[in-house]
Amino acid sequence: MNFINGVTIAIVLFGIGLLGLILRRDLVIKLLSLGLVNGSVILCLVSLNARPDGVPPIVRGPGGAPYVDPLPQALVLSAIVINFAILALALVFVMLLVERYHTTDSQRIEHEIEEEEGP
Amino acid sequence: MIIVLLPLGHFLLAALCLAWQSGTRVLTLLSLLVDASLVGLLFSAFSQGETLAIVLGGWGRDVGIELADDRFSLVFCILALLLGGSVVAYLWKERLRPYFYMLLHLLLGSVFALLFARDLFNIYVIMELLTLVSFLLVGYERKPYQIWAGLKYLLLASLGMGMYLFGVAIIYYHTGTLNLSILTTQLIGQQNASWLLIASSLLVSGIAIKAGIFIFSLWLPAAHASATPAVSALLSGMVIKMGVVVLLRLAPVFPLSLPLEVLSAVTGLLGIIYAIYTYDLKRMLAFHTLSQIGYLILGIGIGSELEIAGSLEYAVGHGLFKGLLFLAAGAAVQATGKEDIPGLIAKRSQIPVATRVGLLIGTMGIMGLPPLAGFCGKTLLSNGTDSPVIQAILVLLSIGTVISFAKLLPLFRLERGPSSPWPKTVAYVILGLPMVLFLPLTRLFLPIEQWRESFGTIPFLESLLMVGVGLLLYRFLPKRLANLPQRIFRLEEAILVILSGFFLIYLLSVLG
Amino acid sequence: MRRSSRGMIITASVLVICFCALLMMMFDYHGAREEAGAAYIERGTIDTGAANLVSAIYLNYRLFDTLFEILVFSVAVLGVRFYLAQQRGNEEEVARIPESQVIRTSADLLFPPILLLGIYLVLFGHLSPGGGFSGGTVAGTGLLLCAVALGADVVARRFHEAALERLEWGVLLVILLFALSPIALWRLPLTDLFPRGRLGSLASGGSILIYNALIGLKVFIGTWVVVYSFIRHRGEI
Repeated sequence: MNFINGVTIAIVLFGIGLLGLILRRDLVIKLLSLGLVNGSVILCLVSLNARPDGVPPIVRGPGGAPYVDPLPQALVLSAIVINFAILALALVFVMLLVERYHTTDSQRIEHEIEEEEGP
Repeated sequence: MIIVLLPLGHFLLAALCLAWQSGTRVLTLLSLLVDASLVGLLFSAFSQGETLAIVLGGWGRDVGIELADDRFSLVFCILALLLGGSVVAYLWKERLRPYFYMLLHLLLGSVFALLFARDLFNIYVIMELLTLVSFLLVGYERKPYQIWAGLKYLLLASLGMGMYLFGVAIIYYHTGTLNLSILTTQLIGQQNASWLLIASSLLVSGIAIKAGIFIFSLWLPAAHASATPAVSALLSGMVIKMGVVVLLRLAPVFPLSLPLEVLSAVTGLLGIIYAIYTYDLKRMLAFHTLSQIGYLILGIGIGSELEIAGSLEYAVGHGLFKGLLFLAAGAAVQATGKEDIPGLIAKRSQIPVATRVGLLIGTMGIMGLPPLAGFCGKTLLSNGTDSPVIQAILVLLSIGTVISFAKLLPLFRLERGPSSPWPKTVAYVILGLPMVLFLPLTRLFLPIEQWRESFGTIPFLESLLMVGVGLLLYRFLPKRLANLPQRIFRLEEAILVILSGFFLIYLLSVLG
Repeated sequence: MRRSSRGMIITASVLVICFCALLMMMFDYHGAREEAGAAYIERGTIDTGAANLVSAIYLNYRLFDTLFEILVFSVAVLGVRFYLAQQRGNEEEVARIPESQVIRTSADLLFPPILLLGIYLVLFGHLSPGGGFSGGTVAGTGLLLCAVALGADVVARRFHEAALERLEWGVLLVILLFALSPIALWRLPLTDLFPRGRLGSLASGGSILIYNALIGLKVFIGTWVVVYSFIRHRGEI
């Protein structure tokens, strides 16, 4: 079994995305990291049953080479659209916040909100 | 067929709301009445012993999506209808755009769909819709702190669903199916497989972020406190329960009893400690939600018949009284302009009488005073188990709840106050009446001997005792503790806590 | 305060590395499974009549999921429009793309094929990879190309906002009604009652073609609305 395959790369990307989400202050980079996290899950799903001699699951006639499992691909379609929706809406909210506070630094925004809210 | 019609009908209405803008309120009210009759039909079919299980499209279970009903779905349907009705009543006089009612219909539709879902990926998609709709509802008024709370919610919930989907990938790879009923039979012999433990930890961590468990749902105090009161009532009363319902579906299939029990203790106790020392009313209610979820998860974790019934009753009761509390708290804050409890107490003469009565009934319910809703659930939970550790935790939680709500007592001194606008009073009645009548209503769910035994004199006296002890302790407890860590509610720290929570769950499933 | 504190970096790295290592060790992954997806591969074409098995799954077997996905998309589009509706950006702060003959000419050449590709992807979704979502996105980005070349306002004047809004919820309504339509024949909603047709021809696959067309239209409008809301909020591209 190949150690470098879709699934392991997906796990590594998930970790990188997580680190980006935690360690980078810039809100836009946080969004990109979230996109990376979700993308890595999609990669994992697609490459679950991938095989070197596989053929796309488009049936042209009886018989035919081994078809790749079509179910994860269908799941991934939904997941991609959902990720698009989340990123779009998150971006809108980030834009609203940036316009209000004139910074993309999440810690500064949080700090200013706590000051406004606090006492 | 009805179980498909309920969600699809609401989605249809959501699309119609954008078209017919003037009649949205009446349309929503009519739809709730229609739903009530449909749920009534389902109920009568169910009590005669037939459970519906359909696979959409008419295919087999292994290729299609299955929907099925059972007693939890029906009871939560009723809760959803009550909460929906009260929110519609509460907001009758406000000028809200049709966009809001569209979101409300989508929320109700996805709640109904989730209650009947029996397929792992279907649950994922419905939860994502729920996340988006609640996120939009939280940020509805566009104030900066609402937007930030909503953004935190979206980021954390997305991350959680990413983890959940990873778990689904692992399970699909090893079993080849996504259907929960098929999984139950397939996984019987493999409960210790390494991949199963990690997959179930991922699934639970993902759902726990939405279900209101303390170490995972750190977005909750900010989001529920900053949203408008009606939205907070819906979120705390309904959306959080959906996470719990998913955990309920997952618990029989995966090895989750020890993790859930430990998590329930952790979330209950931590939530209570934070709630006791918070003096902002809505924030305290939000911390409370986190802690009460501990009761629900405990029942699910133990898994016996009586315990699950207790969790179910407590879930419905909690939905009712938390909804009532949020609605009444919102009205009180609106009337006085103050959000913190000492300020509210000082200006209590400005709070309408109906609001104060609502707050009083809600407080009595949450403290567990018999015979209201809280008492029923708590008694069933403690009767269903013999383990002293669990009983001790339950007692601690009850006393803690009483202590944290004792600070509201000065609010209830009998005084004249302005009268409440009628929509809000109707809303309180819709939620308050089932609460007060809860004890007779539980007769519908339990066989008669269990009912008599669970609700006899001893449990009555026990709960009164706990309330008394709690009130007494409140007088002697220090009023301000050294700073409780508030940093964990920031975004980055929250993610770190979530990761640690994941390791905790994994360790517990390995040990259990 | 530009960097995170050292404690945070160390804790985060340790936790994340442990997480990834645990996942990798415990996943138990050993290549593709035999007989994966066998149920769909064996009976997919017979049950649904579509050559593309992935389309067969997400538009027939698991149509319910796709319905929620459509709703998520619609909610996203509506949310973006709601939040960016009333705010006009500052015109002075924005850099404008200078009027360019190269962009204009290439857009003239490229837009018709892009639109054609989008329509092809949508209509032939049940026979080759594609489908409503990808086709709609392709067509929507083609429209974005027009906006870059001609200016967003010119394109927006052609597609009136009010008409787009009505068309959008109209398509959603049609999708939901179509999904509910089997009730008229007393069957479960979301059942495919259309004839399966000859495998490999355009008129095959039952109602998959109809769903693809509706979804394609919806995604096309939705993509344009999202992109245009962002452009208008910003002031110019």
